[in-house]
Amino acid sequence: MSRKLRRSLWCWLALSPLVVLTLFPFAVMIVTALKPATEVLSPTWWPSRLAWENFVTMWAATNFGPALLNSLYVGVASTLLALVVSIPFAYALDRFRFRGQGALRQFLLVTQMLSPIVVVIGLFRIAAALGMVDTVNSITVIYGAFAIAFTVWMLQSYFATIPRDLEEAAWLEGASRGQALVRVFLPLAVPAIAVTAIFAFINAWNEFVIALTMLRSQDSYTLPIQIFSLVAGRYTIEWHHVMAASLLATIPVAVIFAWLQRYLVKGLGLGAVK
Amino acid sequence: MRPGRTGSVVPRGLAPIALVLPGFVLAALIILWPVLQLGQISVSEVNRFGQIRGFVGLENYAAVLADPDFLASLLRTGIWTVGIVGGAIVVGLPVAIILHQDFYGRGIARVIVMLPWAVSITMTAIVWRWAMNGESGMLNSGLRGLGVLDTNVTWLAQASTAFPMQILIGILVTVPFTVTILLGGLSSISDDLYEAARLEGASTWQSFRRITVPLMKPFLNIAVVLNTIYVFNSFPIIWATTQGGPANSTDILVTYLYKLGFQFGRLGEASALSLLMFALLLALLVLYVALISRGEADR
Repeated sequence: MSRKLRRSLWCWLALSPLVVLTLFPFAVMIVTALKPATEVLSPTWWPSRLAWENFVTMWAATNFGPALLNSLYVGVASTLLALVVSIPFAYALDRFRFRGQGALRQFLLVTQMLSPIVVVIGLFRIAAALGMVDTVNSITVIYGAFAIAFTVWMLQSYFATIPRDLEEAAWLEGASRGQALVRVFLPLAVPAIAVTAIFAFINAWNEFVIALTMLRSQDSYTLPIQIFSLVAGRYTIEWHHVMAASLLATIPVAVIFAWLQRYLVKGLGLGAVK
Repeated sequence: MRPGRTGSVVPRGLAPIALVLPGFVLAALIILWPVLQLGQISVSEVNRFGQIRGFVGLENYAAVLADPDFLASLLRTGIWTVGIVGGAIVVGLPVAIILHQDFYGRGIARVIVMLPWAVSITMTAIVWRWAMNGESGMLNSGLRGLGVLDTNVTWLAQASTAFPMQILIGILVTVPFTVTILLGGLSSISDDLYEAARLEGASTWQSFRRITVPLMKPFLNIAVVLNTIYVFNSFPIIWATTQGGPANSTDILVTYLYKLGFQFGRLGEASALSLLMFALLLALLVLYVALISRGEADR
């Protein structure tokens, strides 16, 4: 046992520089968010008292509520859109052999390479032609489309671990391919779909450059844009509000993520070498 | 092809096409259509509202390539990409190996290492911007407290300190993904191999050299390829800390592109630059993959 203890000490010691650098911004965020407004500009770690009222004043001063609703809407809707098209896509890639399959994989890789920033001018032009600039629906569709490569990749690597025998047994008992899919396959795939959905949601929740380009009025801002607008091009920045807003926008996602990160190791690892 | 595939009753024909079609159409519409738009704009004269005024051939491309700001951003993008992708591997591989060991608190250590992934990079960058503030920033007070600094540094006021810090932030937010890929690789290596090596009398170092490194190669390559794509195109760290300033001295290609298109309104040149960037990234990746496969063939 003492061997494991000694190994643990070495492991933690080796990780400590990274742990400190990783936790540093979180510490800055939390401390600043809880400092009374008069102490924000002095760089001390311990505030004289915990100023919880910062969250209340921040909520009123920063348009946080509407931005939160926009972010939730965009995150949920774009995730659903990506899943609805990616589940059959991934199923076909894993369970069928057909002409053009290799080309489809290449296509997914290329869409992964074309990051939103590279095509943002083209997207903006199309959105302008369709009259969809400054609407949350425009970024919803864009996020959904850009999520496809990732969701197909994740789902397919999980689908490959679901034995084919179960479906084949259902066929033998007279179920059609469609019935076997809905009754046998999809229930087994629910955990994989849930995990994939949450990562697609987090990506949409955190996206910056498309939202920065498309959203022009505060009514349609998502959280990252709203918080960015509190620091961009201003002479006085209310840092305690900025940090309180960042903290509030970060915590729910960080908690879900901390809980789910081990599924990611499995899914991405499997998908990576295919 | 996996065993058991060929013999099964797979109906050939339209089923798989119908299944992939919606996703394919959506992705093509949102991702390839804009590329066609970019192609059209890049060979046209356009005003700042995006109205096309006529065909100009390759003039926009020539204008971009002749722009000194483009060359400076290109060079900086090289440093940025190599620095972050390399740094993430140099940090990520030992961290992944440690996190693969059995030790007390491993679950917590994994969560801490992965945590930056859960936070919007924009917000991470904003927090760092505040932490790097000259007078009120916690970074200066922290480093002074440790005795590293005597006087406050205004980190973001000049490129010589701002750009290395931006690369450091880049490495910190890239490590979680890298570690995730590498951990997946480490857990795919069977313990039996190490056990067999140990029975044959191999040292830990020999096992690492002869088993871990060769079997991890595909995972390292995947991490390099995907990170290169993400980092080359990464916008929020620089935009939220310095917006490419002071005086464009921390611009990389993506921030320069954004300024060209949405601040200066030079849409023709910005479209040309977009396509040049995509071509450059594609060429780099094709080259890298070719190098890998040649390396495999030599062995």
